[in-house]
Amino acid sequence: MSILLQATGLNKRFQNIDALDNVSLTVSRREILAVVGESGSGKSTLLATLAGLQTADAGRITYYGGDRPWDIGDMDEMQLRRLQRTQWGFIHQNARAALRLDVSAGGNIGERLMMNGARNYGDIRETAARWLDEVEIGRERIDEMPLNFSGGMLQRLQIAATLVTSPELVFMDEPTTGLDVSVQARVLDLIRNLVHKLDVATIIVTHDLGVARLLADRTVVMQGGAIVEHGLTDQVLDDPQHPYTQLLVSSVLPS
Amino acid sequence: MISYNFAYLDEQTKRSIRRALLKAVAVPGWQIPFGSREMPLPYGWGTGGIQVTASVIGETDRLKVIDQGADDTTNAVAIASFFKRMTGVDITTRTADATIIQTRHRIPEHPLTENQIIVYQVPQPEPLWRLIPERPVAMRAHALGDYGTMYVKLYEDITRFGRVASAYEHPVMVGDRVLMSPSPIPAFDNPKMDRMPALQLFGAGRERRLYAVPPYTSVRSLDFSDHPFHPGRADGTCTLCGSTTSYLDEIIMDDQGTRRFVCSDTDYCSERQDAKEVTP
Ligand SMILES: Nc1ncnc2c1ncn2[C@@H]1O[C@H](COP(=O)(O)OP(=O)(O)OP(=O)(O)O)[C@@H](O)[C@H]1O
Ligand SMILES: [Mg+2]
Repeated sequence: MSILLQATGLNKRFQNIDALDNVSLTVSRREILAVVGESGSGKSTLLATLAGLQTADAGRITYYGGDRPWDIGDMDEMQLRRLQRTQWGFIHQNARAALRLDVSAGGNIGERLMMNGARNYGDIRETAARWLDEVEIGRERIDEMPLNFSGGMLQRLQIAATLVTSPELVFMDEPTTGLDVSVQARVLDLIRNLVHKLDVATIIVTHDLGVARLLADRTVVMQGGAIVEHGLTDQVLDDPQHPYTQLLVSSVLPS
Repeated sequence: MISYNFAYLDEQTKRSIRRALLKAVAVPGWQIPFGSREMPLPYGWGTGGIQVTASVIGETDRLKVIDQGADDTTNAVAIASFFKRMTGVDITTRTADATIIQTRHRIPEHPLTENQIIVYQVPQPEPLWRLIPERPVAMRAHALGDYGTMYVKLYEDITRFGRVASAYEHPVMVGDRVLMSPSPIPAFDNPKMDRMPALQLFGAGRERRLYAVPPYTSVRSLDFSDHPFHPGRADGTCTLCGSTTSYLDEIIMDDQGTRRFVCSDTDYCSERQDAKEVTP
């Protein structure tokens, strides 16, 4: 499998906390990578840094998609924006904050297309309708304001609004945390089906090892800003080597 | 008796506003901050436009002030009489005779010339404000010319109203570079801004920003390829002058609720009525 994103030696310090401590990782095309670890271990910081939403103090991130390798640190602001809104996507935990609640479902999905230069209303609308079907909201709700959508629907709308440009790489930060358990399963199922169908590489942050087990090809375990263990998900969860991972697995996955 | 400086503002304030206006002319459509002063009117009554007018008006100017197309509304009369007292300049209702036109909500029907300046009163200068409420983020969008988000509003307009033109304040691209609010004029007036021979100045008092469109600058209304911009006009004829092309207001004529259309631009309408009387 060819490498899509490579990070080496990422460091990030907040006051006296090492949020990222010499983090290196790779993601291959079509691969799903889970980042697990306890609260405050640096998962969100890592994800936001990889996605170019915040900058590291040190380290290098190279993206091998598109026509040539890009060093994220060398890109100008507009190049990075283009990359983020075409070949990348970011799905936030809080869909309510990420979406426009006073804009129709179709407009929310269409925004990414319009930001990428789409200027044909009929085409935008048709694409949005297709995606509403795809995420099981249904095209008949295209003109509805998402204000009254349930938490699960909002998250499915955010997924549609992100995947609409068929990105190569999607970053997800706890996409199902905060949803009812029954709803979580449905959203996870949708994510799994879509990322496989679209062959999109995914880096998913979760503190739920069950999510990693369900979705991820590989898993990295973070503690105190550092990656303490990484490997195939089954390996990491079934035969953890690091004491911290052993603790995580034994406390969360009683089987 | 208190004596005021010519045009109310002191010379230093006028100079600083003129400096801001020169910057605004140099970067068409770009919003320039300025040190908006307290005016003897509350915000929302055209304080931005008044300060711009006060900064460019001279003794030989002839001023026209309109509100919704009419010279005789309370607000227009108040602003005109303010300038009459503070400058002594002639006030005119005739578009063709005016050298400066201060306006709220309309551009006159009579085409403007190189010898004229039109000053717009602007409540909200930032076209992106609803979509990008955080000012620094909107500023980055302007800096990068990254305006795709604005189309979300157009998408919603078509979805709700079936056509691209919001009734008023329809966003425009100036000089193919800067996204600008045309102020709350009807979409019908947007095409008049394009390559207008007159200098167009915009003042927002509460928001403390001004901007400009120099003469003959391209001003394009945003639209979609399959929903081209359509300057909306009520499909009717002016009851008073018979115009079939001017922007119309709908008024109720009598107790039975009979509705009639009349020109919104009262000067244009009376000029046409006068012309009819001379040559029946
Ligand atoms: N903007 C910030 N300013 C100061 N400290 C920060 C900032 N962002 C994160 N931190 C700190 O960095 C560390 C890592 O935070 P991060 O949000 O990445 O953890 P996380 O693994 O995502 O946690 P959670 O599971 O609670 O979301 C924490 O100690 C956090 O307090
Ligand atoms: Mg987090």
